[in-house]
Amino acid sequence: MSEAVDAFNIMVYRQLKRFVRAKSRLFGSIVNPLIWMVFFGLGWSSLFKGSMAKALFGGYSYLDFLAPGVVMMTVFMGGFISGVTVLWDKEFGFLKELLVAPASRTAGMAGRAFGDALVATIQGALILAAIIPLARDINPGGIPVTLAAALLTGFAFTSLGITIALKISSMEGFHIIVNFIMMPLLFLSGAFFPIDPLPEWMKVLAYLNPLTYSVDLARISMLGSGSMNPLIDTVVLAASSLILIGSAALLFREATID
Amino acid sequence: MDAIVAENLTKRFGELVAVDHVSFKVKQGEIFGFLGPNGAGKTTTISMLITLRKPDEGEAWVAGLSVAKKPAEIRRRIGVVFQDPSVDRELTGWENLWIHGVIYGVPKNSLRRRIRSLMEFVDLWEKKDTPVKHYSGGMVRRLEIARALIHEPEILFLDEPTLGLDPQTRAKIWDYIEDIRRREGTTIFLTTHYMDEAERLCDRVAIIDHGRIVALDTPENLIRRLGGDVVYLHSSSDRLEELASMLSETGLASDYKIIDGKLMLSVRDASKAMPEIFEAARKLGVKISEISYKRPSLGDVFLHYTGRSLRDSEGSWKETARIVVRRRR
Ligand SMILES: Nc1ncnc2c1ncn2[C@@H]1O[C@H](COP(=O)(O)OP(=O)(O)OP(=O)(O)O)[C@@H](O)[C@H]1O
Ligand SMILES: [Mg+2]
Repeated sequence: MSEAVDAFNIMVYRQLKRFVRAKSRLFGSIVNPLIWMVFFGLGWSSLFKGSMAKALFGGYSYLDFLAPGVVMMTVFMGGFISGVTVLWDKEFGFLKELLVAPASRTAGMAGRAFGDALVATIQGALILAAIIPLARDINPGGIPVTLAAALLTGFAFTSLGITIALKISSMEGFHIIVNFIMMPLLFLSGAFFPIDPLPEWMKVLAYLNPLTYSVDLARISMLGSGSMNPLIDTVVLAASSLILIGSAALLFREATID
Repeated sequence: MDAIVAENLTKRFGELVAVDHVSFKVKQGEIFGFLGPNGAGKTTTISMLITLRKPDEGEAWVAGLSVAKKPAEIRRRIGVVFQDPSVDRELTGWENLWIHGVIYGVPKNSLRRRIRSLMEFVDLWEKKDTPVKHYSGGMVRRLEIARALIHEPEILFLDEPTLGLDPQTRAKIWDYIEDIRRREGTTIFLTTHYMDEAERLCDRVAIIDHGRIVALDTPENLIRRLGGDVVYLHSSSDRLEELASMLSETGLASDYKIIDGKLMLSVRDASKAMPEIFEAARKLGVKISEISYKRPSLGDVFLHYTGRSLRDSEGSWKETARIVVRRRR
């Protein structure tokens, strides 16, 4: 048991170390969402003004509506891409070092996902701090809940990234994953526009997307209200995290050196 | 007790039989070598012994434990240096060893000491805080050797430990390997396609080609079995075969092989045999274009058993490509 804890902790340590080393990664992971917030957010909010905007965006200005979305987008992309970097571990051989180790593979992978979730949450917190001046209606008391939701979200999507990376065999798959999985998940999450007015098929996909619940939870905690029950959001997120880390661990347990 | 026992170990990749009913035993404390060209099945054999691939047929025991039934226990007791680098390049050398030690359950206090003594052993202590991506190929190799020893394994597996390294670095790594055995009594299983490496390091060598062991003995015995010296004789004559069989009938040559118009004769003493060879060649009208002799090496042993020289079968472009890849990493 204590060995499994050690394996978990040391992988958290590794992911945090890697994060601290890769300053350019930190920079990129923060600049990208900020660009969205500033250009996309300010751009549209000059169009969606006054009561028209409030009617469209659940009673909030567009910038306020967008802020929780951008925080969760940061966490989601940070976590998902870190998970997919298991491909790099494969390519550069570090995965073999883990495969031949006696430690529990499940604990190791869970530790890796948790470490990356922490990193993604830190990135989300930095973005949150940066956009507070832009979105004035954010409730500071809701920040702890937002960060807890971010941690859960990071964990779920790191696990998804790991699962996908373990399934595909080559680095070439990376761009395909980003374009065909990451972008649709992001756009069908309610981060940029409300889900309810969408065509039926998009709505169905959006409700199947765990990120929808993260964004809703963030909106509830940051602004006061969302479109669903926060309890349901939390349960769906927790369940998704469990299922996704489970599938990552299962795949890793069966992994060979190819 | 034997450190490693393999019985009819077999691995197929589709049609290809990469490892073909291989059997051998490695004694405790021995340095045992697998010598063979690219694609011979060395890495595949190792991957079955270190429990990362399941054999299609056969069984193996490592440290007395069955690879099929006790993979977790085996992993605890072995150290592995893979053919290709397997370090975390973003982290420092020290951090790589620390992670390894914790994963293997080494108590933290003794782990600190162990890391220091091993990094000093492979002359990397001054580089402990440098990210591994700034290490040279030889330094990465040394770090990996140190890492494989952190948890005091009973058996160390080294897959081509000096591939692509310069001569000085190779010699240094050979010294480390000998030291490890001397200091810790570790059993060492290594693969190589360098004859000099096998000859210098190994107590016993298995020559592997196309997935099969074609010879297994001490380097001295393998060489001795070829006879005293090897005479190489080039000729375009079509009566080379006749000459060879004549020489072996008179007992002058204990063995012979003809490869591409080149006759290899195993003789007891080349300086005495050569005049008689000239004499016999003159009688048969075989015109000798070139003749030379040398004390045989494992290279000749390899040639003898496989009909190819290691260098020919090496596919040198492949190795070059791999060295380039290694550098890039
Ligand atoms: N995962 C795989 N899938 C298909 N074929 C494979 C696989 N791994 C190895 N092979 C094939 O099996 C044979 C043995 O390969 P192996 O890597 O064991 O050789 P090796 O002796 O280690 O050679 P090298 O000196 O190139 O490392 C080769 O023909 C190789 O192409
Ligand atoms: Mg190999």
